[in-house]
Amino acid sequence: MAASQAQALVPGLQVHDADAAGDAAALDRLAHWAQRHYAPVCAADGPDGLAIDATGAAHLKGGEAGFLADLEARLAAAGIRARAVMAPTYGTAHAVARFAPDLSIVAEGGIGRTIGDLPLAALRLPDALLPALSRLGFQTILDLERQPRGPLTLRFGPEIGRRLDQAYGRSFEPITAVIDQTLPRAERLFADPIGAPETLARYVAELVTDLCLALERDGLGARRLDLHCQRVDHRLETVRVATARPLRDRRRLTRLLCDRIETIAPGFGIERMTLIASIVDPLDWRAAPSGLGEAEAPDVSGLIDVLANRIGRDRLYRLTAVESDVPERSVRRTAPLAPDSATAPGSTATWASDWPRPARLFRPPEPVQTLALLPDNPPTHFTWRGVRRRIRRADGPERIHGEWARSDAELWAVRDYFQVEDEAGERFWLFRAGDGEDARTGPQTWFIHGKFG
Amino acid sequence: MRYAELQCASHFSFLRGASSCEELFGQAAACGIEALAITDRNSLAGIVRAHEAARANGVRLVVGCHLQLTDDTNLLVYPTDRPAYSRLCRLLSIGKRRGGKGRCRLDWEDVAGHAEGQMAILVPDRADGTTRRALERTAEIFGPQAHLGLTLRRRPRDQMRLHDLSRLAEETGVSTVVTHDVLYHHPDRRILQDVVTCIREGCTLDALGFRRERSADRHLKRAAEMHRLFAAYPDALARTLEIADRCRFSLDELSYQYPDEVSEPGLSPQQTLARLTWEGAAARYPDGLPDKVRRSLEHELRLIGELGYAPYFLTVHSIVRFARSQDILCQGRGSAANSAVCYVLGITAIDPERNDLLFERFVSQERREPPDIDVDFEHERREVVIQWIFETYGRNHAALCATVIRYRSRGALRDVGKALGLSEDLIKTLSSQVWSYSSEGVQDSHVEELNLNLEDRRLRLALDLSRQLIGFPRHLSQHPGGFVLTRDRLDDLVPIEPAAMNDRQVIEWDKDDIDALKFMKVDVLALGMLSCMKRGLDLLAEHKDITLDLATIPAEDPKTYAMIRRADTLGTFQIESRAQMAMLPRIRPRTFYDLVIEVAIVRPGPIQGDMVHPYLRRREGREPVVYPTPELEKVLGKTLGVPLFQEQAMRVAIECAGFTASEADQLRRAMATFKVTGGVSHFRDKLIDGMVARGYAADFAERTFSQLEGFGSYGFPESHAASFALIAYASSWLKCHHPDVFCAALLNAQPMGFYAPAQIVRDAQDHGVEVRPVCINFSRWDCTLEADTRGDRLAIRLGFRMVRGLANAAAARLVAARSERPFGSVDEAWRRARVPVQDLVRLAEADAFRPALGLERREALWAIRALRDEPLPLFAAAATDDGEPVSEVSEPAPSLRAMAPGRQVVEDYTHTGLTLRDHPLTFLRDELQNRHVMTCAEATGMRDRRLTRVAGLVLVRQKPGSAKGVMFITIEDETGVANLVIWPRLYEEQRRVVLAASMLIVDGRVQREGEVIHIVATRLHDGSDLLASVGEGGEAFPLPHGRGDEVHHGSLPDPRGGPPRNPRARDIFIPDLEATVIQPRTRDFR
Repeated sequence: MAASQAQALVPGLQVHDADAAGDAAALDRLAHWAQRHYAPVCAADGPDGLAIDATGAAHLKGGEAGFLADLEARLAAAGIRARAVMAPTYGTAHAVARFAPDLSIVAEGGIGRTIGDLPLAALRLPDALLPALSRLGFQTILDLERQPRGPLTLRFGPEIGRRLDQAYGRSFEPITAVIDQTLPRAERLFADPIGAPETLARYVAELVTDLCLALERDGLGARRLDLHCQRVDHRLETVRVATARPLRDRRRLTRLLCDRIETIAPGFGIERMTLIASIVDPLDWRAAPSGLGEAEAPDVSGLIDVLANRIGRDRLYRLTAVESDVPERSVRRTAPLAPDSATAPGSTATWASDWPRPARLFRPPEPVQTLALLPDNPPTHFTWRGVRRRIRRADGPERIHGEWARSDAELWAVRDYFQVEDEAGERFWLFRAGDGEDARTGPQTWFIHGKFG
Repeated sequence: MRYAELQCASHFSFLRGASSCEELFGQAAACGIEALAITDRNSLAGIVRAHEAARANGVRLVVGCHLQLTDDTNLLVYPTDRPAYSRLCRLLSIGKRRGGKGRCRLDWEDVAGHAEGQMAILVPDRADGTTRRALERTAEIFGPQAHLGLTLRRRPRDQMRLHDLSRLAEETGVSTVVTHDVLYHHPDRRILQDVVTCIREGCTLDALGFRRERSADRHLKRAAEMHRLFAAYPDALARTLEIADRCRFSLDELSYQYPDEVSEPGLSPQQTLARLTWEGAAARYPDGLPDKVRRSLEHELRLIGELGYAPYFLTVHSIVRFARSQDILCQGRGSAANSAVCYVLGITAIDPERNDLLFERFVSQERREPPDIDVDFEHERREVVIQWIFETYGRNHAALCATVIRYRSRGALRDVGKALGLSEDLIKTLSSQVWSYSSEGVQDSHVEELNLNLEDRRLRLALDLSRQLIGFPRHLSQHPGGFVLTRDRLDDLVPIEPAAMNDRQVIEWDKDDIDALKFMKVDVLALGMLSCMKRGLDLLAEHKDITLDLATIPAEDPKTYAMIRRADTLGTFQIESRAQMAMLPRIRPRTFYDLVIEVAIVRPGPIQGDMVHPYLRRREGREPVVYPTPELEKVLGKTLGVPLFQEQAMRVAIECAGFTASEADQLRRAMATFKVTGGVSHFRDKLIDGMVARGYAADFAERTFSQLEGFGSYGFPESHAASFALIAYASSWLKCHHPDVFCAALLNAQPMGFYAPAQIVRDAQDHGVEVRPVCINFSRWDCTLEADTRGDRLAIRLGFRMVRGLANAAAARLVAARSERPFGSVDEAWRRARVPVQDLVRLAEADAFRPALGLERREALWAIRALRDEPLPLFAAAATDDGEPVSEVSEPAPSLRAMAPGRQVVEDYTHTGLTLRDHPLTFLRDELQNRHVMTCAEATGMRDRRLTRVAGLVLVRQKPGSAKGVMFITIEDETGVANLVIWPRLYEEQRRVVLAASMLIVDGRVQREGEVIHIVATRLHDGSDLLASVGEGGEAFPLPHGRGDEVHHGSLPDPRGGPPRNPRARDIFIPDLEATVIQPRTRDFR
């Protein structure tokens, strides 16, 4: 069904793009979970399946039927609607789970009876083969099984034979178990529980040293560190620090962690400390300056890490230009080290140097009382926050149109900006809402939007 | 306060300017601007329209151009006189040739070489080094004619910028001039301008950023306002007028000369023409020249001599003579083409002795317009003629007209939707709701029907803006065949650019522009039916030993007319459409002239003018034929007192209301656009007063006027109708006497006509022609004729061209390889013909191995699947040794499921577009009977006004402009066809079913009109799902659509010269009208 058709059927439908990578990752996590709970050999069978080698594992859950019921019930509890099938070969189980809704256990020796009538799509063949086979009139697995193997292989390659043999149990198909991805980690166990901050700091340094060695082996740098301190009373104290860019610097990592030691409550003592690099990235080395007078680019990432870990990452930002003529929309917050972003690829949004903008914008603009000649003369004076200022010099108008694509209110809106200087030499940025001629463009009232200097 | 605006882009600065010339000049007049320069970017494409708009609004046009040089310098240039204008045209031609299609590359050297006589304004950015260098360069090239533009941008430090610029100009010794850099006529257009910028940049509005036009206020301002804004620069203001005054060049100065035809030495063109005429006359009438013809020849030659049109006739004659020498079928058309001179010169096949055709439009001496001859050629070989014209007249003297490609509903919606960031999917759904070439836009009701939320702001904006965008020019394309030929260099008159197609070049102006300037134009058009006739006549000569051409096909054949009266005209020229078929039993043609009327009457003009029914009543003798005056009888005698042709409308104005011929012509043109300009009332008064003064009753005059009004531009000239009727007759004759030949020729000339091959084949089978399937051993590329044992007819063997996706080269290799002996197996065909396996697959899918080898589709595909890319060398060697190929493998026979019959039919449709097996509906008949559905044959056999329910495949959907919104649908089942009539209300209610269903189940009422039976639908049901079940695969049925199906093929501008169905997006200048009646419009209405 096309998305627009669905939108037509369900008013207010939210549409999201498919996330194949995310789905695959989630399926992988599910395979890990199954491996812990059901059988030692489990694998994700993308895009929608889980393969479990239940040999010698079923009796733990009350036989084959019990095993399947337990699996389905647990998955259902997690909000996953699943269908589980037990069969002598994985090929048959795969086919039956997807194409034979009434069957859940296929007995030894019952394969032929069960899958002969299933459609070819059940056979795990490459997508390109299916239309070719259906064009020749092959519909069920039995149609293929009955054909002489030679001519079939000549025309379609060995894949059909292999899949048939796997399904019928004539050849062995191993299931490769998922492996837990090991993150770099370092651990210390203490015979006597520790608690003094100095002691903690010392061991943190040791852990960081170990971890850095592990990171160095893989050419990685840490983006996030988790320090787990297990107390004698089995409570877990956790510290998490993050860095602006991949880092393997012992001193800096130690310092980041030690800054946070005060947040750890040691209670009756800590018996185990584990340091895990929970996010890692390849470490990019930059070439050292050549020494020919080339200035080294200042690296402020250390400062940023220190500040961000103190005051919070979301409170630290810098400003970047946005391609918009509306002053309050021409800036945007961005991460301290993010590259200069531009709204459009290839465009270089910067603030034009010859179009002065005040350093401070008032948000929202404050109304002022003025006297000005229509349509486009600057005001002669204005009163702001109770102070009346006579204007000596002015530049303008700079005409800025509303961004009509945003809302109806902005369809015709116009602001005429003036940079004005009062008798004391102070400079202000005033605008009139409206172009001074057409009532649609605004109420023709005046505001102050910023102050220069 | 006086002011002239010197920098203004029209929407011919494609996707940059946002107003038409008409709007700009209308606004300029309202703003009190004295002269307006249209300066489109590297182009003069809009200048003719500007010229007309300028005259209509009383604002002088300054011809100009905005040159954007390769170093991004912007320079405005204005030719002061004709030679300077020619230099500008050449300059642009050079840049366009260098830049390729749609681009222009010019640098300072080019400008310097063509600068003489031009005024120039440099458009500066800031007063910096770049500007200084550019300004010095400009001053160096143009001397005192160089200027620096002062433009307010409404940006910070504007006044400082102007001050710096004027200081810079002073230092360089260049004078300044005020411009306003106008992009649209009214402030409201700003939004649309943003949208076209997005379209140009290919991005969405949110991503547009600073690529939008950053200086504000780009609309035309009042002269007084300009004076207020530039009060500090009075000299620069005054200079606008100075420059406008210096640039006195007007397009009226462009004089056109006919190309020199190679005449006989010592003879003038007129003498040459006379000699050729009398020679031709002797050849045409071997038994002696009839007096009547001699008289018309003398009369016409005299007239041609007086008007100096001889070179034009010679040009057309030499083109036609060339085509004949290459054995390319052609036929002249148009007023001048149906003259006796053209007949004896062989330009047309309409015998002036048999047909008393009007020559009046051509005779009109006052108009001094070049005569009009279009020549239709076989569409497949027209390129030969075109290239010959380029070579003969030289590429500096011949070029094609441009066609302005304008936005229509779907295109506008697509581009605006994209710019506003609507999803691709949503845009597609929306555009499925409109007729592909309509200009009405997507209506709110359509959106509601789709259950989409109209409150959604973006959606609503997209709909509104796309409606506004309709009619905007998008780019220039080439006209299908309108040639401009000149004696002097063509690039002295107009810039020329290379076309997208190789070896072609196009001028910047379109057909109407050429018309407006009264240039000569020869239309070298392509006509599919001529290709078909050519093929048919060749087949006739080859297989039946009958040699004929268009002029020698037996005339006035009663059997042919009998067939036409039965409306058995599927596949013939012009009279095959639903509306024409419905009219045939009422007109009941018995002579050639009846056909001429038939061709002309089913047109929007006569129908809107309500002339069809009076004519039919008079023809059937139910209404007396009366003429209020003898003059009227003279004009309307042939058409029983009802004006049907355009010529007659003009004649009525001349004879009965005392119009001069040129006034009558203006009347015709005014009517073409009366809804737009409202200027027709002037003529209305004149016509009615004139008629009353000549003693006609006032109400009769009123009625006559409203009749003529209906014509507008839809009126169909008799001369065109006659040319079409001739081809219609010729094709009908072929269909009547040789349906086998006709069907083969028609299939080979596809795509053309209204119907798809499936219907053409079915029709031939109904006429007793045997049609044989595509066969690997007997088919050739084209469909061929084979001996039929059953009777005197020949059987048609479908050719490889019917096989979807089969390469012509592969088919040729197959035919060449089997000439020695036929193929015995798939393997052998592959080995001997060495065609790619992919092509064999296509043949197998089309079931081409069954007739000769007995291999069903699946068996053939199974065999092909075993083939490798190359034969194994050892086996290949073995094959060449003893001549017999050796099979590479011997293998057990496969056990393949037989294909279900319904599936076979679907496969036939998918891969050849037709089936020779059972009709798809045969497989559904049981199910349909359960639903109380009758067959088409049963339904059309019922009595008038009976209720019925029928079902069928949708063949053709048409909504003729002539039928006031009524839609005709033809459906087909295994017993025949049924013709549905859908009233507009039902159409609106069930729009989705009508537009999307491939099979319809229809409740309706039988309506009998003589022999023509319609079913007036009351309720439609979508049978597409049912139809899909025939193939048992669940996919949609691969129903082919004929070109007559307007839902799929749209109503493109008809190259056969049919009435334009799209709005004419321009005003016509009428000198007698007050300038005030033409209001600036926001967009064009139909």
